[in-house]
Order: sequence, then structure tokens, then C-alpha cells
Amino acid sequence: MQWLYLAIADIFEIAVAIAAGKAEGFKNRKWTIATLVSGALGTFFLSKALLTFNVGVGYAIWTSVAGVGITLLGALVFGQRLNWRKALGILAIIVGVVGLQLSGAA
Amino acid sequence: MSDTGRSSANSWLTLLLAGVFEIGYALSVGGSHGFTRLTWSLVAVVFFLLTLWALSVALRTIDVSIGYAVWAGIGAAGAALLGPVFFDESLTAVQAVWLGVIIVGVVWLKLADRPAKTQEPVESPRAAQGVAAGAKEAQVVEH
Repeated sequence: MQWLYLAIADIFEIAVAIAAGKAEGFKNRKWTIATLVSGALGTFFLSKALLTFNVGVGYAIWTSVAGVGITLLGALVFGQRLNWRKALGILAIIVGVVGLQLSGAA
Repeated sequence: MSDTGRSSANSWLTLLLAGVFEIGYALSVGGSHGFTRLTWSLVAVVFFLLTLWALSVALRTIDVSIGYAVWAGIGAAGAALLGPVFFDESLTAVQAVWLGVIIVGVVWLKLADRPAKTQEPVESPRAAQGVAAGAKEAQVVEH
């Protein structure tokens, strides 16, 4: 269940990144509200996940998976280059998350 | 010149502060126990707003990818180091290594969002124009 909570929290965190980018330094009211609402919902589901995960572990997985999602979304939807440097970062995060799970921390 | 230096130092201070707020956010969200504990929950809301505000202020002048990398790195490393201090939790050495791999990975990933050096053969014009314009542009591009 904690993985599902973390996944939902990550979807909202990715939404935060998109909304914050469009909020123009929080001058655009609509996108600012979208940022805050997404952030609040993401925070709620993160807190549900952290009932099971250690704070350090759950937070790191949450924020890094969101980073992966933002990068992949940028590549798939917004036509950004997925270069080897980004791929290496994504690989490290995946290896780290799998390693944490296999070592019983997640 | 000294004005630019001062505002740049302030930006970095604000960014470090945003990182510290992010640690507070992570710890208090964990401490809120699914938002069932009032005090931790209120502290979490305050840190949520503070980290968002401080990061956005810092990113007005600091390159977005560098800013995100520093902020995420401080937040994740701080939460990992201080989690066991505030809560009854512990990590084995092996788990700590994997956690380190994730944190290095996310910092690396954020830094990798910078435009490649080859696209920017001349370093000085960017610096001279001020990073603010570049940061704004990068922010839109990234998201």
C-alpha cells in the first residue's frame, strides 16, 4: 500500500513542477492555486506513505522518482532531449530504489 | 559590481534556507503520521509554504537546474541524516549506501537539465546578462 501512496504522491509532485513552472513566480493566480493544491494533495499522500517508510527513505524515493517523472515527461511530451547524462541519473535512481527494496528498507 | 555580489550571496543563502525548510518539511510530514497529529501537521503546512517560497525566490537569480539540485540534495540528505534523530528508525550500512545512490542520482539528474556546454560556447555573456533571464527561460523549458 505504501508504494501506491508514494506513486500517487509522485503524480501530484510532478503536477506541482508543471504548475509552478507556469505560475511565473506565483504571479499567475490560477497556476499558483494549482501548485498549492497539487502540493497539498501530494504532501498528504506522502505522509500516508511515510507511515510505513522511514522518513529518509520514503522522502528520497518520492523526490527522486518525481525527478525521473519530470524528466521523462519533458522528453515524451515537451520534446526535450534525453541525453546520456539524464539517462545516467535515472539509472542511478532506479538502481538505488531497487537496492533499497531488496535490502529490506522499502 | 558589489551589488550583484551581494544579491548573489543572498540568493545562495535563500537557497540553503530553502533546503533547510525542505528538511523540516520532510521530517514534519513524517511526524504528522498521515496528518493525524495536529502540531506536526501545522508545522508541515508552514514548512511546505516556506520551502516553496524560499526556493522560488532563490531561483529568480540562481540557475534553475543548479538550484533544484542543491535544494533536493540538501532536503534528501538532511531527511536521511535527521530522520533517525527525530524518529525511532534506523538504516543498515547497505541501505544507507543505496540511499546515497538515490540522492546522488537525483542531484545528478537535476544538474543534467542544464544545457550542454557545446550549446553555450561562450560562458561570459550569460554571466554578464545575469542569470535571471536564463533561469526564467530554463524554468519554462524544464517544466
